[in-house]
Amino acid sequence: MFSFIGRSIVQKTITLFFVSVVSFLIIHLAPGEPSQIDPMNPKFTPEMVERFRTQFHLDKPLYVQYVYFYRDLFTGKIVSWKDNQSVLAKIWERFLNSLPLFIVGTLLTWTLSFPVGIRSAIYRGGVYDRSATFFSYLLISIPGFFFAYILIILVVTAFHVPVIGMETYGMGNAPWPNLFMDRIWHLLIPSALGATAGIAVLSRYVRSQMLEVEGQDYVRTAKAKGLPPDQVHYKHALRNALLPFVTMFGLILPGLIGGSVIIESIFSWPGMGRMAYEAILARDYPIILTVNFLSAVLVLAGTFLSDLLYLVVDPRIRL
Amino acid sequence: MAETLTKNHEILEGPQAPRQSRFVQQFRLFKENRLAVVGLVIFLAFFITAVAGVVLTSGQDPVFNPSLVRLQEKLQPPLSLPNLETLKAHEVPTLGIYLLGTDDLGRDVFARMLQGAWVSLTVGFVAVGIAVIVGIFLGGLAGYYGQEGICYDQILDFLLLLSGIIFFILKWHKLGFGLFTAGIFMMILSFRARRVKQNRFMPGWLHKSAFSFDTLIMRMVDIMLCFPSFFLILTVVALLPASIYNIMIVIGLTSWMGTTRFVRAEFLSLREQDFVSAAKALGLGNFRIIFRHMMPNAVAPVLVSATIGIATAILTEAGLSFLGFGVPPPYATWGNILSDGKRFIFDAPWLTFVPGIAILIVVLCFNLFGEGLKDALNPKLRQE
Amino acid sequence: MTTKRFLILVPAIIILFLLQSYLWVPTYEEQTKGNPNRLNEYVTASLGDATLLNPVLSANSASSQIESMVFEGLIDYDEELRFRGRLATSWKVFEEAYFYVNDQAKISYGEAPDVRALVRLLENAKKNSTAFPPKVAGSLNRIESIILLPPEDSTVVKELKATDSEPKPDAVKIHVGAPARIKLVLSEVDQDLFNNLSVILGNDYFSTFDPAKFVTAESPIAETTLSTWAKEILPATEHNPVLIFNLRPNVKFHDGYPFDADDVLFTYEAIMNPKNLSPRVSDYEPVKSVEVLDPLKIRIVYKRLYSPAISTWGMGILPEHLLNAKALKKEAQALGKDPEAFSMRQSRFNRQPVGCGPFTFQEWKSDQFISLNAFEDYWEGPPNYKRYVMRIIPDLLTQEMEFYAGTLDSYNVQPHQVERLKDDPRFQSFSGTSFGYTFIGYNMLRPPFDDVRVRKALGMAIDVNKIIDYVLYGQGENITGPFVKQTDYYNHRIPPLPYDPQGALKLLAEAGFKRNKEGWLERDGKPLQFTLITNSGNDIRKAVLTIAQNAWRQIGIDVRTDLLEWSVFIRERVDKKDFDALVLGWQMPITPDLYQVWHSSQTHPYQLNFVSFKNERADQLIIKIRREYNHAKQVAYCHELHKIIAHEQPYTFLFVGKWMAVLDKRVVIKDIGEDGNMLYKKIKPTKTGSYTFHFNKWIKVPDMPQMTTEGW
Repeated sequence: MFSFIGRSIVQKTITLFFVSVVSFLIIHLAPGEPSQIDPMNPKFTPEMVERFRTQFHLDKPLYVQYVYFYRDLFTGKIVSWKDNQSVLAKIWERFLNSLPLFIVGTLLTWTLSFPVGIRSAIYRGGVYDRSATFFSYLLISIPGFFFAYILIILVVTAFHVPVIGMETYGMGNAPWPNLFMDRIWHLLIPSALGATAGIAVLSRYVRSQMLEVEGQDYVRTAKAKGLPPDQVHYKHALRNALLPFVTMFGLILPGLIGGSVIIESIFSWPGMGRMAYEAILARDYPIILTVNFLSAVLVLAGTFLSDLLYLVVDPRIRL
Repeated sequence: MAETLTKNHEILEGPQAPRQSRFVQQFRLFKENRLAVVGLVIFLAFFITAVAGVVLTSGQDPVFNPSLVRLQEKLQPPLSLPNLETLKAHEVPTLGIYLLGTDDLGRDVFARMLQGAWVSLTVGFVAVGIAVIVGIFLGGLAGYYGQEGICYDQILDFLLLLSGIIFFILKWHKLGFGLFTAGIFMMILSFRARRVKQNRFMPGWLHKSAFSFDTLIMRMVDIMLCFPSFFLILTVVALLPASIYNIMIVIGLTSWMGTTRFVRAEFLSLREQDFVSAAKALGLGNFRIIFRHMMPNAVAPVLVSATIGIATAILTEAGLSFLGFGVPPPYATWGNILSDGKRFIFDAPWLTFVPGIAILIVVLCFNLFGEGLKDALNPKLRQE
Repeated sequence: MTTKRFLILVPAIIILFLLQSYLWVPTYEEQTKGNPNRLNEYVTASLGDATLLNPVLSANSASSQIESMVFEGLIDYDEELRFRGRLATSWKVFEEAYFYVNDQAKISYGEAPDVRALVRLLENAKKNSTAFPPKVAGSLNRIESIILLPPEDSTVVKELKATDSEPKPDAVKIHVGAPARIKLVLSEVDQDLFNNLSVILGNDYFSTFDPAKFVTAESPIAETTLSTWAKEILPATEHNPVLIFNLRPNVKFHDGYPFDADDVLFTYEAIMNPKNLSPRVSDYEPVKSVEVLDPLKIRIVYKRLYSPAISTWGMGILPEHLLNAKALKKEAQALGKDPEAFSMRQSRFNRQPVGCGPFTFQEWKSDQFISLNAFEDYWEGPPNYKRYVMRIIPDLLTQEMEFYAGTLDSYNVQPHQVERLKDDPRFQSFSGTSFGYTFIGYNMLRPPFDDVRVRKALGMAIDVNKIIDYVLYGQGENITGPFVKQTDYYNHRIPPLPYDPQGALKLLAEAGFKRNKEGWLERDGKPLQFTLITNSGNDIRKAVLTIAQNAWRQIGIDVRTDLLEWSVFIRERVDKKDFDALVLGWQMPITPDLYQVWHSSQTHPYQLNFVSFKNERADQLIIKIRREYNHAKQVAYCHELHKIIAHEQPYTFLFVGKWMAVLDKRVVIKDIGEDGNMLYKKIKPTKTGSYTFHFNKWIKVPDMPQMTTEGW
């Protein structure tokens, strides 16, 4: 057990090191420079550009830049090139903004998918199953931003209420329930968008896992015993079908960063994904690299967590 | 008549009759899934449209000219007639009508959609092609050679060569060249050391295996999986000069991990099967065994994931277009027609809805087709 | 069972909870009617976030939008684009000119006189100025006093240029024994002074001054190097324009601290401080010295004639007491950072600025909003709006949606939206000529673009009016040269290139291009083929790209196009001059200084004259314009320069766009009339096209106000 944990920590650290090298190389070998150095602004003389390069260590060899960067990252001193703000503080602020979206989306996905998928599996080939299949693929197939725009336009033109951002501007000193509910309202569309796609994908998985399990003897036995069908499906079958979801659950954390770029840009939601996107546009390397690094840490932590969960959940695995 | 036929039928399905070939059985299963059949039909129609599109919209004087600008005819709704008074003879649309309307520069949306179909399809196919090739290659190697170790001397060799190249790139030519030649020299040495039984060239521990080949490839997969894929694609595409090739390559190179895992798993189980042992016993070469005998048996899940991969690639391209990093002009893709059109969503909704719905339908068909394929190829379902 | 119920009930409750929140959210109407505070807020939108809210450090548009509200400069432009005093009440420009006494030169009527005789000679000339030609007389009349400066010894340390063999520059000490010098104080700046004086002192009086014999180097160096240095140290003649500002008394910063001349001096020093990496350094590089005469008077001396200099003082003034070395040191210590490495760039001031503008900074949430409050002690009286909010919404379409939802008062409106909204009874719309123009630039180093006929033909093949009508929906105007169209500098007599494809073909035929069998134009068997590029992310440029390609293909030119990401476009193509033709735009300053974009010395890689425009007369004019402080003369030079550039067609000047704005109709100007009564007026753009000119008087009223027709 402990040797497993130790080994996997060593392994993940090595992986993390390679991830850091690869992401560093990708960013630094690409053409283009940080936008702070804007050569088309007549006010930037070549000397100015040179000075900026020196300040950001861009004139140093790559490996020195690498060492500087990760030294700053681990000592928490790293600052954004764009506005000299501490990167970690910025990410924390954005993380808190992304969190409600993420929590609501995840909650909806990880509850609603199960009944939908299970029902599909039970009535496999029936009208419900086929229409569920069709609709979930419809939701997977629709370009996210197209869907988002249609929703926004429908809501705004039909109800004349604001939907963009995290709150309505200019509410002034309205009573707090209004302010609170206003924030909840702004949460609705983006999180619903995230959740529909999530439910579409996850319910498909649930369905196929349940199909695997439904054919097993113990389920048949349970049915034969005359247990109520819900108890058969939700107790006997579901428990045994749950195992692969442990892996998936470990991997939802990284979704905090990568999955939401488009939704956050459209809703001008000041979250992690949007910050990362703006950083790419501005070539704010410290932010891009830190986000990348953190998401790699999240992925590795997620897989580690799901490995551990496996150990706990599945009695067949013994190390 | 009818009676005899049914009788024959029964006989065919009787125990003495030869079993249906696997393909026929799969096809029967596939046919039962009506959604998947619809998916296939639309997929084929899309394919034909795309091919027709590239023929009809390219060349010096194409049948449908997707880049002809008619500013005075801008933002005409679908099915509207051109104003013949203001247009020169060659500017009149081929069908005599703007089937899907015109865009903000008066270009025929129908012609652009035709042209875009081909480009979107190419992006999807090439990207997935790259992913599948890389995936099959690495997955096959990992699955087949899995247990074989990589020796310390090989690692050393690789490091020498790699650092040589890196130093060379960093303009430290002398050091780089030195390391590189050292690497080559070492490679020859260790090669000889392997041939000669009585090894006098190298200390023995160099031939101990450090870790297995499988581990190496799977760690590579792990590293790639650490990047959030859309974010990685976005970073690379944003930093590289925009070009259709970069987008295809980047999407391809960031989505091979799934295929690798599938193929590796298949190979691990296939390797233990009798026909592989038989092939080995016959003395067939490794590559022949891998590509001639094992690959056809492992290809089914790859096919499914490739179908769905194409759908994902088309969606990814649309997402990139939305953020402004999609395929650059002069290529029209459905993604960039859509993201260009969204500015005019109130003035000309067809510019958004035509490509949006087209993408939706095609991606949906790919997905349904893939799903049907998965069911058809699933041995568990086949037996029922 | 319970599991199933749980899995269905939980999401159902969440969804219901989310949906019911709709009942609490205000609609467009409720926002104004139900909430009087909303009327006192102005909410606007920006596509990108600000970087640093410090006018010395940042140069992007979102930051400057906020800076212009929080900070105040010494001067700005009024409705007629003339300078107007803000923190300065008045200012004066004059000149101090110097020249060294040249004992080698012969004066026109005899031997070189001694120094005192020279002064007497000038004084006499001034007295009898009528005896000289009018130009010379003019210069003499401008001289207010003639002062003799005695010889002076000094030591200067110069650095040898680093070479490949010796990467470290050598410092060399140089002894300078400067000869006597004459200082002339002029009532106004006169760039022809020395030309005119040479009528009196002899044509070669200034040119034969040999500074090399007054300097000796301590260590041996090459003679040529020494003589170049000598010319730098002892220039034969020197113009020193002087600018004196009288500052406004009783102005306060937002924190109540009084504003005075030290703040101006500090702002200048902050820009010049290399630690701050200010993007404005080049604006202030010509400054020789800044001197505080008294708390409300400051004197700025320039090294050379540089007329755009005055406009640079529109820059926001920083509060010295919050950012001087002492304050920064204290802040660094409080944060536990190294005070040596800590500069203004790291200061938290950049996120909570304090200035003396009409609005005080309140809050900044990155990528969400920046909010400002009205400054009650603003010297011109507080603005009507109590609050100013700039929201950051990165998508144009969602900005529009927010505008409809009532949570934006203005946004970055697009031409087609103005077209749609201009007749909507809820809104009012404005537009006016902006300061930026769009052009197609040709790389004149590459044939066939070295031929003016080809450039002209390419321009004639494009129907610019059609672009203006259809792409810009009329929100643009023709432009023929690089000056701001609404200023005097722009030469309105120059006709725009006609749209004439046949004429274009004729010109191309003159240049040697004939149609081949396939219909393409070719010369000596080589088809006319090139690539037109621009940057991605700008829809109008993209449309121009497509239209130009289409138009040129129509007359048989095989044009390819390419869209490149901004930094790649600039770094790899423009900077390295690796392009045939490109679509780009310039944002023009009001001052007519064209040096960086059009002077032939700026054609090297990484410089801004990337089309390699070279014209001797144009170079002379550019320098003259830079040196001229007299408006009428400047205008004359500009008109001539405009004509040359329009004739040479290094760019195809396409159009100058219009800025556009759509506002709710209920936003009006509220002012107190002469009779002391409250007066509501409709917002009207000024003649030069700024609708926000009276922004401080704006307010939103709950209902359409009853306005007398006079106000309209």
